[in-house]
Amino acid sequence: MRVRPGAAATRIAAVAAVLAMVLAGCGAGGRSEDPGGASDVGVTPTSIKVGAHFPLTGVAAPGYSEIPTGTRAYFDWVNANGGVNGRQIEYIFRDDAYTPTQTTQVVNELVLRDQVFAVTGGLGTATHGAVLDFLNSEGVPDLFASSGSLLWNQPEQNPMTFGWQPDYEVEGKILGQYIAQTYPNARVGLLLQDDDFGRDGEVGVRRTLNTQIVSVARYTSGATDITPQVSQLQAQGADLVIGFTVPSYTARSQLAAQQLNYRPQWAYSNVGSDPTLVGGLLQRLSQGQSGPNPLEGVLTTKYLPGPEETNDPWVQLFSQVWAAHGDGGPLTSFRIYGMSEAYTFVQALQAAGPAPTRQGLVDAVERQGGGPDGFRGPAYPPFRYGPDSHAGMAGVAVARLQGGSTVPLTPVRLTDNGDAPITDAPAQERPAPPPQGIPTVVPTGS
Amino acid sequence: MQQFLDLTLSGLSQGAIYAAFALALVLIWRSTRVVNFAQGAMGMFTTYLALLAVDAGWSYWAALLLALGSGLLLGAFIERVVIRPVENGPELNPVIVTLGVFIALQALASLLFGAQYRSFPAPFGLTGLQAGSVNLAITPYGLFTIGAVLVTMIALVALFRFTDLGLRLRASAFNGEVSRLLGVPVGRMLTLGWALAAVVGSLSGLLIAGGELVWPAYMDPLIVYGFVAAVLGGLDSPAGAVIGGVAIGLALSYVSGYAGSEFAGLAALLILVAVLLVRPAGLFGRATVRKV
Repeated sequence: MRVRPGAAATRIAAVAAVLAMVLAGCGAGGRSEDPGGASDVGVTPTSIKVGAHFPLTGVAAPGYSEIPTGTRAYFDWVNANGGVNGRQIEYIFRDDAYTPTQTTQVVNELVLRDQVFAVTGGLGTATHGAVLDFLNSEGVPDLFASSGSLLWNQPEQNPMTFGWQPDYEVEGKILGQYIAQTYPNARVGLLLQDDDFGRDGEVGVRRTLNTQIVSVARYTSGATDITPQVSQLQAQGADLVIGFTVPSYTARSQLAAQQLNYRPQWAYSNVGSDPTLVGGLLQRLSQGQSGPNPLEGVLTTKYLPGPEETNDPWVQLFSQVWAAHGDGGPLTSFRIYGMSEAYTFVQALQAAGPAPTRQGLVDAVERQGGGPDGFRGPAYPPFRYGPDSHAGMAGVAVARLQGGSTVPLTPVRLTDNGDAPITDAPAQERPAPPPQGIPTVVPTGS
Repeated sequence: MQQFLDLTLSGLSQGAIYAAFALALVLIWRSTRVVNFAQGAMGMFTTYLALLAVDAGWSYWAALLLALGSGLLLGAFIERVVIRPVENGPELNPVIVTLGVFIALQALASLLFGAQYRSFPAPFGLTGLQAGSVNLAITPYGLFTIGAVLVTMIALVALFRFTDLGLRLRASAFNGEVSRLLGVPVGRMLTLGWALAAVVGSLSGLLIAGGELVWPAYMDPLIVYGFVAAVLGGLDSPAGAVIGGVAIGLALSYVSGYAGSEFAGLAALLILVAVLLVRPAGLFGRATVRKV
């Protein structure tokens, strides 16, 4: 078949136009030398784009879905005060339903389609673990995963990834030591989520409490009924149970214990012990049939102030932020968590200087983030960041749930992974919030 | 020994829940010959309506009636509007359509009611009973569930075996053409079958939700075990559904308690395959399988 010359020319022109557009599209992701302008992917002279994945639906949504609302409110607060180095933070978070396959998909979208500069606060051990390799191979800064897994602290293998909260091993060590000292005769049972969350927690607890453990029960996330697991703990005679459980399974373990008439002393990881959320859920279930909060007296740990501590200057700041930029709901501990994470992210961004690059951001956290003089904010313990460590906070305080609040039983205790000793943090170590509520980190020479 | 007793009793209450779900599947299968994958989502939806009523200050029992009533309407509506147009096509079409309804209802529930966890209060206590010093891992609410499931089962057996209506329902499902010739209003029977099945489905949704946490996907894990229970029982027999449900409940409880929670799903599959190998029509199904 012969083609009319005119038609061929049109076709060539069309192909050329498409090619040009494709090339231009590729160029959008490239680097520019303009200092302080579009210094890297996702950065323009007036904006900087960051992404996150959270369970907004499904088994882990209760509580956790509030975290990004807190983060967004704090970023809006910073934006309203002029942003970071004149750039407005554009925050995109997507729902992964706490399902690793969906996390992969939404993080792909964030990195490849939305072209975010960095990912911040991605939640969940299994979920975030699924995108660890992708983010590191793409060279996307993966700051402050919302999980206490040890996976985030592998600077050799995953140079772009950093933890934020105390890891479960550190938390387990400190909680275990307290229990060994305070309840030396307790027969301890462990109720563990059957993934890295439970495993890391077990590693920590066993470092300080190994000989007292009489029973270990594991549940799979997604199981509807954990009565058989709680029944096992009861049958093996545990009279103090430490749960590394997410909030919905904390509630389930309490329901199962109620059904079994099992009344051990309970201790839960910070992850699953929110008294407002879990206590509220439980209280409503047995409407009008039980008096006090079912979680009254439960042991847990603490590294951030709770919303009920209205005298804490950081809680006062976050109340202001939430009143100005929140969605009208109450200020919860999950929202405080999200704001605190956002606060650290803003510190990191400031430390990366006026022309932030992806590598520059990572270098800045390593250089300036760790230790008592590093990125300090609402959290009690300092971070452990450094060239050889991407581990988050260095400790927790052991606390008891009492009257809807989390009351500390010990000073903040600091330690590290492995055999590192546990020490009390110096008193009055945490700084007060800066006047505008916006950190003022000055980049130091790199 | 105490642990065995605990596992048995908690498996029994859990089994009653699977049985409730399986009963709804049996009802719809017997009265329309469709396997309804949307059953769980329909029950979830009416449970949310009941929860709204409870939140608005209604008593549990009024909310229960509301859920059952709205289940009746929802079932009839879905049959008339969604299933009817595809009913005369290939047998698989209505089944696939129910899958679509399942997804659509779940999305709609997320939009209307939010995706977060809510507590569904129970009308009876959630603390285990005690006989002297022996602890029984069964709650007053668990007993209520078992009772409700047994009553429903008896009502269904009576409906199908002793009433004209039951005969007409079965006839319409089994052979619409012949039934029509015999003067049975087949269209109306199919709608009624869906409506009644949805009532039982709503009841199962409520029983599962009571004293538990509710979110748009809370029925999902139960759908799997409920189907296993129904197929175990033969899909045709209300008594089979209840026995299948209790068998699955007990088996999963023992496996989870003695072997580990991660083996529960595997055990359900093994049981299903084993039973179907030995008795392809299920434990209580008619031995002669008719191809329709």
